[in-house]
Amino acid sequence: MKYLLTALSAIILIPSVTNAGHADFNHDIDVNVNGLVCDFCARALEKVFGTREEVNAISVDLNNHLVAIDLKEGANIDDEEITKLITDSGYNVVDITRHNENTDQKL
Amino acid sequence: MRFVFILLGVLLSALPTQARPVSYPGGWTFITTNDKDANATLIHYSPSAKYSIGWRHEYLRGPKAHADMIQMNNLVKRWNAPNSQANFYIKSGAGIAYEDGKTDPAAFTGFAIDWENRRYFTSYENKFFWADDVTKYAKHKARIGVTPYIGDYGDIHTWLMLQADYDAGAKDTFSLTPMVRFFKGSSLLEAGYNLDNAVMFNFIQRF
Repeated sequence: MKYLLTALSAIILIPSVTNAGHADFNHDIDVNVNGLVCDFCARALEKVFGTREEVNAISVDLNNHLVAIDLKEGANIDDEEITKLITDSGYNVVDITRHNENTDQKL
Repeated sequence: MRFVFILLGVLLSALPTQARPVSYPGGWTFITTNDKDANATLIHYSPSAKYSIGWRHEYLRGPKAHADMIQMNNLVKRWNAPNSQANFYIKSGAGIAYEDGKTDPAAFTGFAIDWENRRYFTSYENKFFWADDVTKYAKHKARIGVTPYIGDYGDIHTWLMLQADYDAGAKDTFSLTPMVRFFKGSSLLEAGYNLDNAVMFNFIQRF
C-alpha cells in the first residue's frame, strides 16, 4: 500500500513533461476551435491531420483553444478542408489565421 | 423471433442520425472496466465521425454469467463551447449471455451525458440490461471530478473523482467509489476503491 501511495503521489505531482509549447512550434496556420478542453479527446486531431500529405505536424494549445498546423514545404490546405477535418473530429471551428513571411492574414 | 425483433430494435435505435465523429473516423479503441459487479472488455471501431461499433465481453459476478455482445455507441449530440464540452450518447448492445451451459439472448441500452471544462467534470449514465433467465438489472452511475492542476497538451493529466452507483436490485443498492483518473496521450487509466471494499480498475487505449 505504501508503494502504491508513493507511486500515485509521484504521478499526481509530476508537472508538464512533454509539451514543447505552442509558441515554440513553427507553423503556418492557427485554427481557433471550440470544445478543445480535453487532451485525451484532442488526440483525434493528431490522428486525422496525420493522414494528410500536406501536413507536416500539428500542435494543440488547450489554453488558447488553438490548433497550429505546420505544412510541408510548398504544400497548402484550404480552409474548407481544415474546417471539415476538425468538424469530423468533433469540434467547431471559430476562425482560421494564416501566417506568411510578412503579415498575418485572418480569414 | 421475439429476440430478433428486440435485437433489431436495439441496434436500429442506436443508428446514427448524422455523420459526425464519436472519436475520429477510422479509429480503434480498447476498453476494459472492472468493478464490484463485472469485468468487461470492449473493442470498438469508429467507421464514421458519429458512432462506433464493437464487440463486448462481460463477466457478471452476481449471477456468475458471461455475455458476448455487439455494441454500438452513438454520439447523439455534442455541445462545444470555448471553455467546455458536453456530450449525449446512446449505448446499446445485443448478443448472448450464458452460465452453467445455459444460453439466453441478451441486450442492453442506456444513455450517457457528460460535461467538462479543464477544471471540473460531471457525468451521468444508465444501463438497462436484459438476459432472459440469466439476469436483469437497471444501473445508474454518476460522477463528479476535479483536477488538482491544469495540464497542457501532452502532459500527464490527473483527475480526482467520486463515483456514485445505484442499482435497486443489487445487494448493496447504493455505493460510492473515490477514484483517480490519469491520462496521457491516447492512454487513460482509472483506479478506485469502493467504500464497501471493492477495487475498480478501468483502462482505455485509442489507436
